[in-house]
Amino acid sequence: MPRIDEVSDAQLVTSIARYSEVALAEAYRRHGGAVFGLAKRVLNNPTEAEDVTQEVFLRLWNQPDRFDAARGSLRSFLLAQAHGRAVDAVRSSSSRRAREARDAMRTADSPYDMQREVWDLAVADQVSSAMGELPEEERRAIELAYFEGHTYREVAQLLDQPEGTVKSRIRNGMRRMRAVLADAGVRGVDA
Amino acid sequence: MTHDEASDLLGAYALDAVDGDEFTELEAHLESCPRCRAELDSLREVAAAMGNSVEPLPEGLWSQIAVRLPERQEDQEPPPMPQLTPEAAGSPFRSPASNGGSSPRRRTMLTTIGAIAVAAAAVAIVLGVGLVRADNKVSNLQSAQAASSAAAAAALNAPGHRVVTLDAGTHGQQAQVVVLPSGQGYLVSSSLPVLDKGRTYQLWAIEGNQPISLGLLGSSPSHAAFTMAGSTRPSHLSITSEPAGGSVFPTGPIVATGTV
Repeated sequence: MPRIDEVSDAQLVTSIARYSEVALAEAYRRHGGAVFGLAKRVLNNPTEAEDVTQEVFLRLWNQPDRFDAARGSLRSFLLAQAHGRAVDAVRSSSSRRAREARDAMRTADSPYDMQREVWDLAVADQVSSAMGELPEEERRAIELAYFEGHTYREVAQLLDQPEGTVKSRIRNGMRRMRAVLADAGVRGVDA
Repeated sequence: MTHDEASDLLGAYALDAVDGDEFTELEAHLESCPRCRAELDSLREVAAAMGNSVEPLPEGLWSQIAVRLPERQEDQEPPPMPQLTPEAAGSPFRSPASNGGSSPRRRTMLTTIGAIAVAAAAVAIVLGVGLVRADNKVSNLQSAQAASSAAAAAALNAPGHRVVTLDAGTHGQQAQVVVLPSGQGYLVSSSLPVLDKGRTYQLWAIEGNQPISLGLLGSSPSHAAFTMAGSTRPSHLSITSEPAGGSVFPTGPIVATGTV
């Protein structure tokens, strides 16, 4: 029998579907920090980020069949779940308007920050440098959408740009990132 | 929404930055367009790579999750045992038909066990324990008893088999285990006393100083089958008395032990 810390993510999810709490605990050990990290970054609030983390893992427990190993890694699945929930929380926040202005300033003023504890420093370096290589307007549009939880239409307003332009910048920037990361051999990213 | 319109939106969609009617129309298009789904999957990986910065987990967060795992009703049948073969890793996962996401589950472990699993990554926790634990009363060892007594007899005649006698010291109680070179093993006899309700015997391989659970033996063991990973080279096999449902790490007294 394999040790719990040696089995694949796909096997873990299979066990989670069979009510193995040990398997869920192991999934949390492997990916909980990343889920919490992204939620905290988007929400800018540790308590709300904890709520999101709880919801993400409870959902994995209740609906493990939502994960399809053929479509991507468990980590990216969980991060997408965390991001969606964090963004929902941001958008339902009553202080959204004040937040928007503040966040826009902060994002505009600060360089891209990957200087924190990371799961895989090599990948983080590659992501960081790939972000750095993006044209400024593409990078800002992506950051405002992804890390601040804005829709692309809101990003257009914040940047005072046409919606179609912002939509294209996000798309082009994401494809550029994908090409760079695929060249760098980042796992799960194919050109 | 045309394919090209949908394709243009996928970057924003992967960032959860599409809303309203566009969101609804794009989701409808994705349902019917494998090309867009594949493109989205790869863009989601890019988004995950950007968002992949690990923060230290707040203390106690796992416990809050663990206590919220729904209980399974007592009269519900346990799900069938999973097939944890290497082939399972690559195959698209499908949950059991009865699961549907709504069936409440039995929470068989206390939060502390999850905490142990989280804190002690290096501790060898055999996946089978969680699975045996998941159905509690009908452990796979017990359900395999009838078949395994015949298999155990065969194992005693197989080449390369080793017999391990687990001795309980002064009380004269003991158990005998036969292990094959493949890692397959059988409890072939036991004179261990019947345990109180709510307790179970649990078999462990001791490798270095690490106990590795081989499974539950029930309260009145006679025959059982188990499997050790090929890489497991235990110095000892031990049996402990544990709360029904078993433990991730031995908590009860060692009632019998033997040198491999």
